Amino acid sequence: MEAISHAGTVLGVLAKDGVVLAAEKKVTGKLLDLSSAKDGGYGGSGEKIYLLNSNVIGGVAGLTADANSLVNYARTAAQRHLIMYNEDIPVELLAQRLCDMKQGYTQFGGLRPFGVSLLYAGYDPHYHFQLYHSDPSGNYSGWKATCIGANNGTAQSLLKQEYKDDIVVKDAIGLVLRTMSKTMDSTTLTSEKLEFAVLTVDPVTKQPKAKIYRPAEIDALLVSEGLAKKDEDTEMKAA
Amino acid sequence: MSIMDHNGGSVIAMVGKDCVAIASDLRLGNQALGISSNFQRIFPVTDRIYLGLPGLATDVATLHERLRFRLNMYTIKEEREIEPETFAHLVSSTLYEHRFGPYFIEPVMAGMSKTPSGGLKPFIAATDLIGCLNFAKDFVVAGTASSKLYGVAEGLWEPDLEPEDLFETISQTLMNAVDRDAFSGWGGIVHVITKDKVITRTLKARMD
Amino acid sequence: MAADTTAARSIVKMKVDEDKIKTLSPHLLMAYSGEPGDTVQFAEYVERNIRLYQIRNLYALRPSAAASWIRRSLAESLRSRRPYSVNLLLGGYDTATHDPHLYWIDYLGTISEVPFAAHGYGSYFALSLLDRGPLEEGLATLKRCIDEVSKRLVVSPGNYKIKVVDKDGVREVEL
Repeated sequence: MEAISHAGTVLGVLAKDGVVLAAEKKVTGKLLDLSSAKDGGYGGSGEKIYLLNSNVIGGVAGLTADANSLVNYARTAAQRHLIMYNEDIPVELLAQRLCDMKQGYTQFGGLRPFGVSLLYAGYDPHYHFQLYHSDPSGNYSGWKATCIGANNGTAQSLLKQEYKDDIVVKDAIGLVLRTMSKTMDSTTLTSEKLEFAVLTVDPVTKQPKAKIYRPAEIDALLVSEGLAKKDEDTEMKAA
Repeated sequence: MSIMDHNGGSVIAMVGKDCVAIASDLRLGNQALGISSNFQRIFPVTDRIYLGLPGLATDVATLHERLRFRLNMYTIKEEREIEPETFAHLVSSTLYEHRFGPYFIEPVMAGMSKTPSGGLKPFIAATDLIGCLNFAKDFVVAGTASSKLYGVAEGLWEPDLEPEDLFETISQTLMNAVDRDAFSGWGGIVHVITKDKVITRTLKARMD
Repeated sequence: MAADTTAARSIVKMKVDEDKIKTLSPHLLMAYSGEPGDTVQFAEYVERNIRLYQIRNLYALRPSAAASWIRRSLAESLRSRRPYSVNLLLGGYDTATHDPHLYWIDYLGTISEVPFAAHGYGSYFALSLLDRGPLEEGLATLKRCIDEVSKRLVVSPGNYKIKVVDKDGVREVEL
């Protein structure tokens, strides 16, 4: 629990036509090799936001090593459901699968629990778009908008003030980015400190579409939302 | 009566010029009784790999599900799509795991594989039911009509066919071979994979 | 929507009033035939597992998901020490996408989604008739199949139970 409150913030907002997820990266620096995030793969730099299944994106806060193990478990659980039922796993069921395992580690002696909280942004035909949160004890709950990690209290009260029940993805993206910029330590948002993902349904195929943004796409988004670095800053750096 | 012939069905794959094609019939039978004339036994694996699974229909479904599991885990962890050569070995090892109680399937696959220079070149392969790989350069066949497919393909196939000519060649090969086989037929489906797209067409056939 | 949502149909009777069509969930029917002991055993196993899923998750399995689960159970059973010999027809209405589905499943775990299906000796007559017949009027066509089987099959059964599943759920009908 302690580790999670210091971890990078992960924030999720449920909209009418999609779910938006954003996360603050902690491991940064210009020596970090980010070549895999720029091209190749499905986007993201693999620190906070992961594709769990074609219909679910996960955001993690806490011990990174534990998170990797949980992500692998979630992916396997989703594939096990696919093999048994020939359908994408319902979002709540995937959250339950992870919580069943997390709970087990609180009950049996000799082992420590997973030090990870997760946000699940997903879609299934039963309840459409959904956002869940699970904590190390194995509790989970559904949310319209929520936040885990450092400063989650501040973020939640901001979300509570600004959230509207009929919010659409376009506005949810703005809400998420504005809230992120207020809760993060740094003054300006950049792709160096941010991971970002949106889950929607493809209007043609009617299949869920998980999009994890690449660094360049995040910067472009920040510019269009008017949250990018001011021009003076770049000029000063150049000088 | 072999278990391999219980449900019927055949698949063929051919190499063309910068393209490959894979085709199969659509019959699902129960011995001599026809059950379905729309049984899909060719599955897309990636945007440029297709896999055909002729053999016992219960194992068509089981093997497809198992391969999909292993493939999805590969794709999500590697963060890239699998290459045809790698996939062929995945199929082979999955089948060999059941060496002494095999799936009654003889897979056929077709795809475009990346070359070191960044281009794409045609790839086809087939295995037997315990996963022995056969990387042919011209065409591969499997299923209840395989003996007939060999004969017709040997006569019709020629090197460096363009996509449309390859479509015609594989379609004629399939149709004429399955018409001589009691357990295959009832319609067909053809996929032609080129560098930038996949052309899928269904074939009308004799319904007897 | 049109009403040709398919009804599953049973075939042989040891007992004149044996119900061989199970209601697995509010919009799902399963007709079964095969080895006498196995049929009831397997049908109840399926019934209770589908019910368990519904209790745990508050919503029922969709027909396609239920069909896949049942198929897998049979496929796993096939390579066990003593396989179930049960053939099934599964009919259901998908409340998420609002369309009907019919699956033909045999004891090997073979599955096929079809517009019409039959198992057993009657299937030779029924399928031939359905290949020609119009499928718009589901119950009328079903009656023609039953009449044909009664007329031509030496060991034709006397009575039939007929159930329909559509958007309103499951109901039993008399012809």
